[in-house]
Amino acid sequence: MLSPERLALPDYEYLAQRHVLTYMEDAVCQLLENKEDINQYGIARFFTEYFNSVCQGTHVLFREFSFIQATPHNRASFLRAFWRCFRTVGKNGDLLTMKEYHCLLQLLCPDFPLELTQKAARIVLMDDAMDCLMSFSDFLFAFQIQFYYSEFLESVAAIYQDLLSGKNPNTVIVPTSSSGQHRQRPALGEASLLEGVEASLFYQRLENLWDRHKYSCPPPALVKEVLSNVQRLTFYGFLVALSRHHGINQALGALPDKGDLMHDPAMDEELERLVVRSRLHRISRQYRADEPGAFGFQRRDRPETLERGPSASAPSPYPPRWGTQE
Amino acid sequence: MIPGKYRSVSGRAANNVNCGLHLVIQTSSLPEKSKVEFRLNKETSSFPGRLLQHDLERNYSSRQGDHVNLVSSSMSSFPILQRSSEEKILYSDRLTLERQKLTVCPIIDGEEHLRLLNFQHNFITRIQNISNLQRLIFLDLYDNQIEEISGLSTLRSLRVLLLGKNRIRKISNLETLKSLDVLDLHGNQITKIENVNHLCDLRVLNLARNLLGHVDNLKGLDSLAELNLRHNQITFVRDVDNLPCLQRLFLSFNNISSFDSVSCLAESTSLSDISFDGNPIAQESWYKHTVLQNMTQLRQLDMKRVTEEERRMASVVAKKEEEKKRESHKQSLLKEKKRLTINNVARKWDLQQNRVVNTLTSQDGKDSDSPSQDTPQIEGSAVSTFTEETGSVDSGLTVTDTHLVEVDGDTLSLYGSGALESLDRNWSAQTAGMVTTVSFTFIEFDEIVQVLPKLKLKFPNSLHLKFKETNLVMLQQFNALAQLRRVDQLTIDPQGNPVVNFTLWKYYVLFRLSHFSMQKINGTEVTQNDMIMAERLFGILAHVASSELPPYRMISILGDARKKQFRYLLETKGKKPGIISEENNDSRRLTGENTNRATLNYTTREFYNEKLEEIKEKNKFCKMYIEDLVKEATEINMKNEALHKLWPQMFIELVRDAVIEIRNKNSYMKLCLQQITDQK
Repeated sequence: MLSPERLALPDYEYLAQRHVLTYMEDAVCQLLENKEDINQYGIARFFTEYFNSVCQGTHVLFREFSFIQATPHNRASFLRAFWRCFRTVGKNGDLLTMKEYHCLLQLLCPDFPLELTQKAARIVLMDDAMDCLMSFSDFLFAFQIQFYYSEFLESVAAIYQDLLSGKNPNTVIVPTSSSGQHRQRPALGEASLLEGVEASLFYQRLENLWDRHKYSCPPPALVKEVLSNVQRLTFYGFLVALSRHHGINQALGALPDKGDLMHDPAMDEELERLVVRSRLHRISRQYRADEPGAFGFQRRDRPETLERGPSASAPSPYPPRWGTQE
Repeated sequence: MIPGKYRSVSGRAANNVNCGLHLVIQTSSLPEKSKVEFRLNKETSSFPGRLLQHDLERNYSSRQGDHVNLVSSSMSSFPILQRSSEEKILYSDRLTLERQKLTVCPIIDGEEHLRLLNFQHNFITRIQNISNLQRLIFLDLYDNQIEEISGLSTLRSLRVLLLGKNRIRKISNLETLKSLDVLDLHGNQITKIENVNHLCDLRVLNLARNLLGHVDNLKGLDSLAELNLRHNQITFVRDVDNLPCLQRLFLSFNNISSFDSVSCLAESTSLSDISFDGNPIAQESWYKHTVLQNMTQLRQLDMKRVTEEERRMASVVAKKEEEKKRESHKQSLLKEKKRLTINNVARKWDLQQNRVVNTLTSQDGKDSDSPSQDTPQIEGSAVSTFTEETGSVDSGLTVTDTHLVEVDGDTLSLYGSGALESLDRNWSAQTAGMVTTVSFTFIEFDEIVQVLPKLKLKFPNSLHLKFKETNLVMLQQFNALAQLRRVDQLTIDPQGNPVVNFTLWKYYVLFRLSHFSMQKINGTEVTQNDMIMAERLFGILAHVASSELPPYRMISILGDARKKQFRYLLETKGKKPGIISEENNDSRRLTGENTNRATLNYTTREFYNEKLEEIKEKNKFCKMYIEDLVKEATEINMKNEALHKLWPQMFIELVRDAVIEIRNKNSYMKLCLQQITDQK
């Protein structure tokens, strides 16, 4: 605990790195919002529940986008939540449009911005035909990259544009417009003929980012791996490669591997129970006249909410970062 | 009748000058019974042609010629007629020359007292040589070949002129025949009624079997009682109301197809007998009734007596027709108004949606002017069929230029966002109870969401909701429908509702609104498989939404929903505390039915933005608060760490100070005692 590097950081920086303040602020905010209800069962209990949910990753459900985006942990939790909730859609084999995926995202976060979804779709579709249908896994992995590393990707995009237009921090641009254009056009033309930029050059430029960035970036080693496989690459090619890379996915830790994407036995069990129950509901409803909601009715459903215990504590086989409830 | 042999002479001797013919006229008491006997005078035999003698004995009582002598003068080309003096005395006023094969009118000499002249069934082409018969009253030229009416100008006493079955093309040269009583021109080629306006004594006019296209120009025939126009090509009739005495009018077998073309008949008070058979008009179903209704004085129609029963029926039917017409007129007016309003609303909606470029704004101004000229609220119960309750405004249709509300039996239709206010009105229990379908068009869904509680209150039986052009774009919006009591059918029109383009929308609806047990979505039945599929697709979402949310969030979300409902209820007029608590129970019951979905709510964009604003405020405050805390904490931490660093040193110094103090035991004891005494 008293590790030297921890003590080496000044206080604010330490807190900031762990995003502790964010959570504290949010906790107090939530407390303020719900003070009438929380008063009933005590503040200590509230904080327990809050931080438990942070640990489990359920704190991002139905929250506003600004909160979801605030920390990498939040982003990862959101990705995971999205995966868990809509895995069944993917399992069903439906191919959906970008708008529909966005709709699903909005079910979990009402003010999720459309641009992010659009960018994610662009990765999948290689910036082509934005109305195309996409499979769940394609979209999910692309979305992961886009959402989790959004700032990183912005910088990468800027770098790519620079490289594409032939700009170099070392070159001097003669300020006559025509010649400037002349200079640029052949470079672009060259680039488009050869599609994209040179991988090694690209990587050099990227290296700066790791030092500069405060926000999360994919592990440099893995990026290097991605870039070493090809000679030249386009921006979207790069992103697609990132999204498909197993290592990066595992480093992120939110989603399982592609092969296991549709597997979640605990949830499947739960789902089966729900389906059976709904079927019984429907049958029983057909036989039942419009009775005023007797307590018996309510009580039957209530236990569902109290049932949280067992299903939530089902040990998820995925990254140990998610603390299991003792 | 005088039997006897009759010999006829071919009349074509006009060419040969020298033929001698004697025409003997034998008069009889009745014109039609007079016969003509012809005797040839064989004295002048220079006539080359043979003159035939025909036996004219035929068994009909129509005209036959008198016993006459036809003499042709050597001077003129006309045969001259002479009668024997006995006949002249016997039948001084009649002369019958029928079937004499005459091609011209012979000169009739010495018969100035003649009153009846009969030329039937001849071949006469021109009326001539009768100008001297100024006492003539009856002139019969039926069945000849006359092409033009002429030669009658001196016959001022003429009363009956029979010119049927000739080849007359025009009515003319009747100016002097002011005493004419009967004019028979049937079977000719007359195309126009003209030159009869001076015949003020004319009682019977027969123009049947001519080529008349219309009836006109009948002014002046002040005595006309019978007008026969059968078998023409008449398409319309005019001027008949100017005939004050007309009693019988025969229009059979013409080309009259609508009652308008004979509308003048309705004005005539004297008509008692009329016939229309053989006209297109007689085929119509309303023919008899219309005629009887418009001509109440009629006694015979199409040669059949009109009974009282028929008359009564006619008036009843006519009244019903009138009613129907009025009703349909009203209906069409209303419909037009509705259409205009809906167009207006649609245009506004499009502008709102920025779909239409603003070149239409000028048109908009023009169009919105015209509806605004109408009275702003036209409450017509034309469409609804309910009795009005006292004190409640129960109109079936409200039309303004910005919105439209319509109750049509079991459907309540709302067009335009202004229509939502109508839910505040006092609807009668009967009206409201009958409404099972509610249709929203050209209204933003977010606005509809806000009035759903009102809808639940006022129209408890509404089971079918229809949405068209309501801007449904997110699946989330369907969450808002969960607050209703019950929905059996849902119709989301693809027009204006992009959400329908999603593959999963129906399943989501079934999933979220599973407690409604919906029967139909967009017309297709909901099967068990659909429900199961919906549950499969989204069941985990529900599970996560309910069981994995921390309890305080659950409570806050559910509480939020209930708070919102309260807010809407408080805004409605006439709130009663009883209702609110009932609502409370209701919502609790509802949420009890489906707790695991209850957290899936929809907040309209406005409210959500409001909430975000609030949250931002709170965030700011919290940030400051936490910063303060952190500052305190870090200060304390710093002090703590500083203390930690300094402590060893400090401790040693403390110890050293203490040791130095105690080094000299004696002086220390003295010091301590001193301190104790000082303290006292």
